[in-house]
Amino acid sequence: MSDAFKNLLVYLDGSEESVTAAMAAIVLAKQLDATVTAMYVVNTRALQDLVKARIFLDIEEQEYRRDIEGDAQRYLNHVQRLGEQKAVPVIPVKASGTVHTEVRSYVQKNHVDILVLGGISEIHSRRDELLSETDRMMRTASCPVLVVRDSDSVWDMFEAVPDAM
Amino acid sequence: MTLMDVLDKNLIKIPLAGETKSEIIEELVDVLVSHRAQLNREEILSAVLAREALGSTGLSDGVAIPHAKTTAISSVSLVIGIAGKPVDFDAQDGKGSQFFFLVVAPENEASAHIEVLASIARATSSAPFRRLLSAARTTEEVMELFID
Repeated sequence: MSDAFKNLLVYLDGSEESVTAAMAAIVLAKQLDATVTAMYVVNTRALQDLVKARIFLDIEEQEYRRDIEGDAQRYLNHVQRLGEQKAVPVIPVKASGTVHTEVRSYVQKNHVDILVLGGISEIHSRRDELLSETDRMMRTASCPVLVVRDSDSVWDMFEAVPDAM
Repeated sequence: MTLMDVLDKNLIKIPLAGETKSEIIEELVDVLVSHRAQLNREEILSAVLAREALGSTGLSDGVAIPHAKTTAISSVSLVIGIAGKPVDFDAQDGKGSQFFFLVVAPENEASAHIEVLASIARATSSAPFRRLLSAARTTEEVMELFID
């Protein structure tokens, strides 16, 4: 039991909810003496789909790819700093491809114990193609999934963890 | 994020009154700014028209997805408009466009922006879905098509 839940993975997508999920993962890691990996996946699949459907011009695809690469680094750095603040090392991982597939694969290959997510859609549609990447991750992950919802309480919990000396 | 996350009953107009490409774009932007009082109409319109000038966002099968990123907005927003009859939007298949999805996003939300665009593309790729959309007469009917 002492080795349970030692390897946490939090998925970042640039949303406030995903940053809150990262804070929850840091709080949890502190209490469980676990490690946190923060993963950002550049959604090249969506970019390719948009070019294929001719919604995006080539020049737009390149511009958005640069924007997302920049976002990825910025959010990974931010979460690393949050971890440092609480003396919880956060390992940054940047990948690219189809988001839920990349996350599922990482979970399996790296024996992740808990996948931490924020921002599950509140409205549910029967149309599978409308499912978000986070919804898909929640449904397909091979490990337990923690969905973080109440950002106020997570902020309180994060603040309650003593800062690193 | 998907179009479901940004779908707003107040940002659906059916039928659109515009009969030209520029009228349609202005009408969609007007729907957006009329429900978000703090938005700058001219900045948003200018961003959408600038993107449109690079190449038409009129796709095929009556679908058009005009879009832009701009500092004039703080979150990804979607306006859906359905024209009573097809409008010349310089579409890829040379046919008129009837279903319009205006997506305006802040410059720092690239991931959310592309996910919403991809979600619209997937949803509207279904011919039966487009037929249902074409038959919708009210905003409630359009909402129902997306929800359940």
